[in-house]
Amino acid sequence: MTASARRTALPAHATTAPSPVMAEPVPLLQSMPPQVARSATQARELNGILRLLTCGSVDDGKSTLIGRLLFDASDLYDDQRATIERSRLAGSSGLPDFSLLVDGLAAEREQGITIDIAWRYFDTENRRFVVIDSPGHEQYTRNMASGASHADVAIMLVDARTGIKKQTRRHAAILDLMGVRRVVLAVNKMDLVGFAQENFAAIAADFAKLTTRFGFTEAIAIPVAAVTGDNIAQRSANMAWYTGPTLLAHLDGLPSRITQAGGHFRMPVQTVLRDGLDFRGLAGTVASGQVCVGDRVTDVLSGQSSRVLRIATMGRDLEIASAGQAIAVQLEHDLDIARGAVLSGSGAEPIAATLLDTRFVWLAEDAFDPRASYLLRTATDIAPIARLTISALLELETLETLPARGCAMNDIALASIELGRPVAVDGFSEHPETGSFMIVNTLTGASVAGGVILAARAREKAVAFTASTGFVVTRATLAAGLCSDLGDSAADRAEFERRVLELIKLFGATGSAVSFDI
Amino acid sequence: MTLAISHLDLLEAEAIHIFREAAAQFRKPVLMYSIGKDSTVLLHLARKAFYPQKPPFPLLHVDTTWKFKEMIAFRDQQVRDFGLDLITYTNQDGIDRNVNPFDYSPSVYTDVMKTAALKQALDAHGFDAAFGGARRDEEASRAKERVFSFRSAGHRWDPRRQRPEMWRLLNGRLGAGETVRVFPLSNWTERDVWRYIQRERLAIVPLYLAANRPTVERSGQLLVVDDNRLPLLPGETPLVQSVRFRTLGCYPLTAAVKSTARDLDAVVEETLTAKTSERQGRLIDHDQSGAMEKKKQEGYF
Repeated sequence: MTASARRTALPAHATTAPSPVMAEPVPLLQSMPPQVARSATQARELNGILRLLTCGSVDDGKSTLIGRLLFDASDLYDDQRATIERSRLAGSSGLPDFSLLVDGLAAEREQGITIDIAWRYFDTENRRFVVIDSPGHEQYTRNMASGASHADVAIMLVDARTGIKKQTRRHAAILDLMGVRRVVLAVNKMDLVGFAQENFAAIAADFAKLTTRFGFTEAIAIPVAAVTGDNIAQRSANMAWYTGPTLLAHLDGLPSRITQAGGHFRMPVQTVLRDGLDFRGLAGTVASGQVCVGDRVTDVLSGQSSRVLRIATMGRDLEIASAGQAIAVQLEHDLDIARGAVLSGSGAEPIAATLLDTRFVWLAEDAFDPRASYLLRTATDIAPIARLTISALLELETLETLPARGCAMNDIALASIELGRPVAVDGFSEHPETGSFMIVNTLTGASVAGGVILAARAREKAVAFTASTGFVVTRATLAAGLCSDLGDSAADRAEFERRVLELIKLFGATGSAVSFDI
Repeated sequence: MTLAISHLDLLEAEAIHIFREAAAQFRKPVLMYSIGKDSTVLLHLARKAFYPQKPPFPLLHVDTTWKFKEMIAFRDQQVRDFGLDLITYTNQDGIDRNVNPFDYSPSVYTDVMKTAALKQALDAHGFDAAFGGARRDEEASRAKERVFSFRSAGHRWDPRRQRPEMWRLLNGRLGAGETVRVFPLSNWTERDVWRYIQRERLAIVPLYLAANRPTVERSGQLLVVDDNRLPLLPGETPLVQSVRFRTLGCYPLTAAVKSTARDLDAVVEETLTAKTSERQGRLIDHDQSGAMEKKKQEGYF
């Protein structure tokens, strides 16, 4: 059944009332005459976005599966459909090559892009889908981890002839680490095992056993044949024994992370907006929970709190804002806070932490260098890391931790991070947005690792305030002295940069533990 | 409590988030304004992101001097209406050498009047970040593009220097000599752009609406004769018919489509049921295989 056929079959969707927080009703629905109801369905706003990560190798038929989803679910353009039709005629099998909808240019594949994630989009009549495709080649841990950080649900793909492999286990472990809570096992190529129920049942049982080790809230298996479309969008006539949903029907009903974002109110402040003397708005995106006009909110770093006077957006003010909304908050009593602060409800604040227990994936090609200078990038803050101590690496297949002091690309490390100053953070499991971070190389600016916060605390009194955590060189320090002769011209900025890089090198060479926050 | 948010609301919030992150992290950003529908949406989102302030960066229009007259008029009107700061830049060397879209191949013309001009403009003003309206759904080579797309010295897009982006975290810390292109519309589709223009009732260049215009047909593409700078070939007589544009570039390089959609609702209706992808109307993309990918490496959006 094609997308348009489903639309015709379900005209009721076309007149579904807009959700309460939608900015405005969709004008098209009211003004369109009945004969264009089909396209009015397309024009209406979709009910949210589901981000879908696909995990598996080329051999499992991943490109074909994604291509088939796009082909069956979305309104492809004629030129794209023609490409698929040509492949049917050109190929010897007589079957269309759906992977043509997915593969990029040949030259691009050879370029070796650092982290390789492709983004694709399709709509059902219900919602927008984003397919995050992270190729399963040797760099897959960091690719998958990076892709998984954006995903609401993951499709794990296996070949019905081979079933669960070591790779499947590794994939599940990475998904779990990155906070993906829903997984679907697509047992593909059922056509090549004669659509046999026994094959599927055995693999589904293995999968159930595997997933109990992780924190998934939902893990289901669906027998499919991507190349023929069985159980993708269309219920398979070849597998009458299967009574569950098709892959697309299942995905269509899943909630997304953002609309489920529970937890306490958090809004990392991105910037401060001003309008004359009357308006000073703390601008940010609500990371979790919700906020109403009149709520008492706190900045945990400064300990100040006030009530919400106004939630401003262009066009209209809001009474309430919830996770995912970009707003500007005006407070009753103006607090002297800026970017990096996290607004929270009073009494349920994040932690103003200087010590973090973390787990991260090392992304950079250069291994962790204990002499290098790193920064911690949280939601909207960036703070110098005074000390980063790796304690163990996670072995993905056995889930054992092995003691270690260093880590390299694709490693998943357990580490403690000591910061030069407090940063407002949360534990990742309750507040993913304020509980995740990236590690940035001070010198190159590169994002070298991405991870999650397991525990956070303020500096313990017992910990001495050592020189290694005490001295931070800032832009202001340099501008006041060493670089006081420099202005804002391009040449002067380049010279400023050169001096900073020299300083970092010199301090590094002498072994001085000086942090740069520039 | 769970509240449903429509996909356009989510895309809007994401774009606002990206604008604010970039404005907070970069020293001197600029918004690449090309007058078309994507720029219209981009500008609207920039205004929303910083409301009640004005966007804290200027607009930059790289003027090839071959834009449709109506595009320039629309640009100036928008700048007046919203009280914005506009910088226009033209590659004077290209003008001096009379590089134009008729005597030069589309790739040479684009390279000189767009790509080189853009780099010159960014360098001349010392911009370290430029907002653009590129979307990942536009073309295969863009499907892997980052939200913060880093350029090494000379504005080259080096695939190995691209940074992983995780969660909602955007790391804008620049290495030596680096600049960045910022794409707030990364996750939008062509249909979203139109849906949003309709929802927000945004003004667009009238060329997007069907009207009777003089046209000639060349290699299956319908070209509009905007003024006497389009040299007619022997035997060509302009035919006046109802056409509109799905995408706007330089006028001889952008083809029109036959249409009777004379207002926004009709255009959106037609676009949402369109059967061909929008870049079919841009002649530069057919110039050589892998054209977009090559142009991207050289600094074109």
